[in-house]
This record gives sequence, C-alpha cells and structure tokens, in this order.
Amino acid sequence: MKLLLAPSLVVVGVFAAALMALLRYSLVEFIPGSLQTGGLTADNFRAVLARQYLGAVWDTLLLSAATTLCTLVASYPVAYALARTRSSRVRSALLVLTLAPFFSGAIVRTYAWVLVLGNTLVTWPVPLLFTERGVLIGLVHFSMPTMILLLAAALSHIDPVYERAASSLGAPPARVFRRVTLPLSMPGVVSGSVLVFAWTLSAFATPELLGGGKVKMIANVVRDLALDSFNWPGGAAFAVVALAVTLTILAAAGRLTSGRTT
Amino acid sequence: MPARMLVLIFMAVLATASAAHAQDALVVSVWGGNWKDTVERVIGKAFTAKTGTPVEFEVGGTIDRLAKARVAKGNPLVDLNFTTTHVARLYISDGLYAPLDMSKIPNAKEIAREAIRSEYHLGSWSYVYTIAYRPDLVKEEITRWSDLWKPSLKGKIAMPDFDPSHIITIAALMEGGNELTWQKGQDKLKQLKPSIAAFFSTDAQSQDLMKTGQAPVQVMLSVNAYHLQDQGIQVKLVQPRDFPGIVGIDTMAVMAGTKKAEAAHQFINLALSKEIQTELVKALKAGPVNSGAVVPPALKGQPGIFLTPAEWKERGYIMNDEARAKTLPAWREWFTANIVK
Repeated sequence: MKLLLAPSLVVVGVFAAALMALLRYSLVEFIPGSLQTGGLTADNFRAVLARQYLGAVWDTLLLSAATTLCTLVASYPVAYALARTRSSRVRSALLVLTLAPFFSGAIVRTYAWVLVLGNTLVTWPVPLLFTERGVLIGLVHFSMPTMILLLAAALSHIDPVYERAASSLGAPPARVFRRVTLPLSMPGVVSGSVLVFAWTLSAFATPELLGGGKVKMIANVVRDLALDSFNWPGGAAFAVVALAVTLTILAAAGRLTSGRTT
Repeated sequence: MPARMLVLIFMAVLATASAAHAQDALVVSVWGGNWKDTVERVIGKAFTAKTGTPVEFEVGGTIDRLAKARVAKGNPLVDLNFTTTHVARLYISDGLYAPLDMSKIPNAKEIAREAIRSEYHLGSWSYVYTIAYRPDLVKEEITRWSDLWKPSLKGKIAMPDFDPSHIITIAALMEGGNELTWQKGQDKLKQLKPSIAAFFSTDAQSQDLMKTGQAPVQVMLSVNAYHLQDQGIQVKLVQPRDFPGIVGIDTMAVMAGTKKAEAAHQFINLALSKEIQTELVKALKAGPVNSGAVVPPALKGQPGIFLTPAEWKERGYIMNDEARAKTLPAWREWFTANIVK
C-alpha cells in the first residue's frame, strides 16, 4: 500500500518544493536594475499591500463572484434541458454545443471574443471590449461548459418522481423548481460554483486579451511584476498574498456549504 | 524481427547525428517569428556558408529567455544572445555575458558610436517608438507628440504597458525634464488618460489593435508599423516635429561560459558587416548600425533609420540604458496606479 502511495507523494513533494521556492523568493530583497537579490526582508509584502495591488485582489474577487453567478444562471437551463430531455437528438445537439468550446483553444476563443465585443462586427450600445463587462462575458463563456456538465450530472441524479409528486399535490412549476429541483441539485450547484470561482481567481488569458491592459486580475499583476518590472521577489510576494486570500475564501466557502450539500 | 532491428538502428543513427549536430552548432537565442526568420535567413545562412558551422536557434520572449539564461548560469544553453539594450544590462549585472574581444570583431570599427552599448554588447539594428496611426480612421493629421493630447483623439490611443518608458520620457521632455527627472511629466501624462483606449503587452497585440481599428493611434514600434504597411494596411508613421521618437537598439552578446566564444564573435562580426546590415535593413525595415549599409531609397530618412551621426542625434532620443533598467519597476508601478487604473 505504501509503495502505491509513493508516486503521489513524489508529485506532492515536487509541488510543495515549488511553493517553498515561491515563498523563499518572496522574502528576498529586490534590487532594481539587477537580477541579483539581496538579503531576507519583508519589504516585498509591505510593497504589495499597497492600494493598487490590493485593488487588483478586490477586482479579482468581484469578477470571480460575478462570473460564478452569471455562469450558474446561464448554465442551469441548459443543464436542465440536457438532463431532462427525452429526445436523444436534442441531448446530442446540446452536448455537442456544450463541449464544442473545449475543442477550440482558450486563446482562439478569446481572440474571437475580441472581434465580437469590439465594434468591428456589431456596434454595441455600451463599450464592451477592454472593459470589465467584456472580461466578464469572456470568463462566463469559458466557464459554462464545465458548469453545465456538473449541473447536468447533479440534475440527472434527481428522481423525477419527486417533482411529479409535488405537481400532483398542486405546486405550480415555479414552486416545484424552487422547493424540489433546486435544493436537490445543490451538490452540483456548489461543486460547479466552487470550481468556477477558484479557476476564475487565477484567470490570465481572458483579462489579458479582453481587458486591453485596463482590467488587471491577480495573475496579470503577478506577470507584470515578475516579467515586466523584473521584480521577481515582488511577483512572488503578491502570488503568496493572493494564494492566502484564495485559500481563505475557498475554506470559508467550503465551511458555509458543507452542511447544505450533505 | 529484422525490420524492427533496422528501424532501431536507423533511429539510433538519427539520434546520434542530431546530437552531434547540436554539439557542433552555434546556438543563438532570439525572439520568435519574423525576428528569428530574418536572423536565420540573413545572418545564420551566411555564417554557415562562411565558417561551415551550423546555427541553431532558441526562440522566446525577452524575459523568458532571460529567465532561462539565469537558470543555466555558468553552463549556458545558448552561445549568443539577442536582446534589447536595457535588458542586456540585467544580463550584465548578473554576470551572464562575457566581455567582448573587440580584436575579433573588426567590423565594429565601422558601426555608429551609439551602437557600441558596452564592452559586453553591441547594437545589431535600431528602431524607434513613435506615433503611428490609421489615416483612414483618424481624419486629423498627426505631426507632433503634443497632438496626442487633442480631445479629438479621446478613446483612440494604445500604448505599451509592459514598458511605458517611451511615453513617460516624452511627457517629461515636454515638461522640460528627461528620463532621469521623469516626475516632471507626471501631470502631463495624467491628462492623456481619457484618450487611451487600450494597453498592449506584445507586438502582436499592438498590431491586432491597429489592424482591427480598435486603437487607430499608437505609440508603436516602427518595425511593426512597416510590417503592417507591407500587409497593405494604411498606417502612417510620424516623425514628430516637437520631440524625437524614442530609439530602441537590439543588441548581440556572447554568453559567459560558452565553449563557442570564437564562433560567437565571428557571428557578431559578420552581422555587423555592410553586406549583412544591408540585407537586415531590407528584411526588417530597421535602421542599420553600420553606416556603410545600403538603404533602399524609400526607407531613407524614415523613422528609426539613422545613417549619419547627425541623424542619430537629431532624429532619435536614446535613453540611458542603466537608468532605464533601474527605473523601469518604479515607472511601471506609477504608470499602473495612475494611468492604467
């Protein structure tokens, strides 16, 4: 048994070593104009706790929350149709449409959004490209396939007999959904939401391309610090702060929802 | 069975041959795309024809390659490196470059003084960051840096955010300062904020923004503007009347610890020759560093093309490399806080 665990422990060890390297780098002094680093210091953390960096963390959290909510609302009807349709053709068509984005690369899809959100094909009443609205649309599109599949899996496990029973007792469709279907699909809702929220926190390509440099999420700021300012200790410190914030939020979300889904 | 044996032997021979090839080859680190293609076609082939030494390339972004070089310090994966002159300062500060033996680079005597960046790195070609715009989308003629501040250009301008040093320096120059007293231009630059439609972090993004018309006015690399013109896109490159464009110089250097220092010096020497410089100008539409290079008439006098000492001085502003490398983190921090957000 211990032998079987060995490969996993090696993988975990490598990941832990990478994280330790990140932590170590965050604690060494940055010397502008040089790749050499100085001695141990906490200055990098003081620097990244400045308003503009914390603002990026806040913006990321807001965008991630909005993405999760919008993805959930947009995905639920599709997942419901996928789980409940009796027509195998409709199910296949929905499945193909849901999975299609997986087969085109994230960068290609995002570039397509640049054309759609810009005023090249359509003239939008409000600016979308290079705004947070545009980034939100891109992130929701990116997240929907996964959310749909998780919700559809949860919905397909609900025995329709419960909904029929509620209807036969006089509950209107909206009430059946609110009191029966939605509560029973909560495991899918929670797992999909946590997954979408977590990966949106580390989104990079979508804000980079659709944000036009104006929308900075955590990963973009880490890249800017490390690669554009040559401030690798600063980038490492910001990544550590962001990781701590993310883990705290996910732990809190896990606590809040653990009682509801079991 | 014999067939399988034959395949194995064939693969072993191939692997040995390719390892031997890699061992003999001069490995050059350069940006991808058109940069690598041009260096390979213009310098690499001529070098192999002259010396018999094959040339292999490692391609990547400026900082990716710097990170790799740092990891391989002392036992470099490449023998010769191309990078921008201020990033070269980071290589030098970390001991990643070897001092050049100028006796092995006789062609260096023919190059412009501005291209001799240090005892470690020499310029290979020049360009400018200046104003480029689409006259089909911007009706008003742009002739000066100060035109960027006109209200009619609101929401139409893009500029690099990975390196805002160009516009920061221009704003400082407009207010009587320079890159060392850049704070003088801060208020001026803040006034430009409503005009900025987007920021770009790669050449590809810059070109896409121009092609699609999302940002028809840009603080743009001259080479990229010429490239768009070659694709048939109407892009006008401005030689600003009030202040010059900001000069960029890409440089070559020999990696510290390379076992092919001799070949690397030969490569640099060849790259600086009049003949190769003439071909580089044609291919990249960048300025030659060897003033003896033949420049196509259409390019003479254009932004980024400097042929005489007077042109280098009058038509381009060369920033202090060291100050730029040291101050860039502070510039970026201020720029992100005050202009981007």
